[in-house]
Amino acid sequence: MTSLRMTFLKPASPERASLKAAPFDIGWLNRFLAFLLWLTALFFVAGLVHIVSIFGLPELAQKDAFSRLSAFTGLTPPGQVSLLPAPLPGQEYAPFEDPALVQGVCLYDLDRGPLEFSAEIPSDELLTFSFRTRTGRVFYSMTDRAASHKKLDVIVLTAKQLESLEADDDGEELPQELRLTAPQKKGFVLINALVAFPSDRGNVEALIKAMTCETGTETQAP
Amino acid sequence: MAILIKSCFVVVLGTLIGLALTFVSLEHGVGFGAVRSGPWIAWPKAGSPDIDPYARALIARSGSIPLGTGEGTMFMARDDSDGAPLDPHCDYLLKGPMPPARYWTVSVFSPNGDLIENQAKRYGFTSAEILRNADSPAEIALSSNAQPGNWLPTSPASPYAVVLRLYDSVLSATASSLDGAVLPKLIKGVCR
Repeated sequence: MTSLRMTFLKPASPERASLKAAPFDIGWLNRFLAFLLWLTALFFVAGLVHIVSIFGLPELAQKDAFSRLSAFTGLTPPGQVSLLPAPLPGQEYAPFEDPALVQGVCLYDLDRGPLEFSAEIPSDELLTFSFRTRTGRVFYSMTDRAASHKKLDVIVLTAKQLESLEADDDGEELPQELRLTAPQKKGFVLINALVAFPSDRGNVEALIKAMTCETGTETQAP
Repeated sequence: MAILIKSCFVVVLGTLIGLALTFVSLEHGVGFGAVRSGPWIAWPKAGSPDIDPYARALIARSGSIPLGTGEGTMFMARDDSDGAPLDPHCDYLLKGPMPPARYWTVSVFSPNGDLIENQAKRYGFTSAEILRNADSPAEIALSSNAQPGNWLPTSPASPYAVVLRLYDSVLSATASSLDGAVLPKLIKGVCR
């Protein structure tokens, strides 16, 4: 290999020498090429940092949706949906939240087992549900129209938990509840209820308080 | 040695430029998924799993919680229908056809997304509570002075954005193309 390279390189050297001896100076070309190389490196580093920071920001952000909302869930008994305060100037918990909504939140950590969410659906109120990861990314969303028989039952689980749940299914009956596999273990369910008239607020709040969400109660049948 | 110094310089400068790019794109950019129709901007993918990384970073930074695609769609207007930025010293009339939806709401926010304090304690309207004249589309008056009819108070001290939300709307499923969508107009009135 080396000998081959040697023979290949040998004829090149006299040519190089003749170039050096050329009457015009090619130093500027060398410097320009070197500059281009450094510039390329600069673009490469800048691009890399930009991409990494864009992708990393949701993971690093201090005030991600989960941590913001967890400030309101401390006093809620386990198994219940936490009611978020009515948005008023100076006490918003997130920017651009609709003042006509009553919102409830249910934080979950699937390490403690699948989340069972259950809600009674009245016929006239507008209710919407979104299932989100820790950073607030929506992996499933729907309105109350998805409910059957005025009731909505959802189980949020990991792919592994779904497997073990499906192993328990007897195969004769179709599951009554909606099963959602979550892309991450930590996340939250956000419930929006529209207060069509300001006087409805009390009723709508009671509606959200009556919903249940429980983790870890799923009996892992042998 | 010179190479080492140059390498350090490139890495430091590159990092700074990269972070500056991120900052500028988050400060001015609205993600690649924004769709426009007249003065209205919407981000239909912001509430779906295939949200673009820029919109994700923007949302993580602001802490906002966009509506899920299956819940509804949010439209924001920072300009009027003539393309001029909304002036807090002027009155505006939000007028015209609303896209089909089970409910819609209109509310006003400061550019940071805070509600604007007002004496009337009115921050928005829902489609249910709006007063309508027979056979004519809904009209909402945005003004810092009390107005007859549907008055949505603004403040001359604070610039604002108008937010229209459609809940349970057929538009949310197909919002990637807004061209044919019928959205209300924002018409400038008197200025003080």
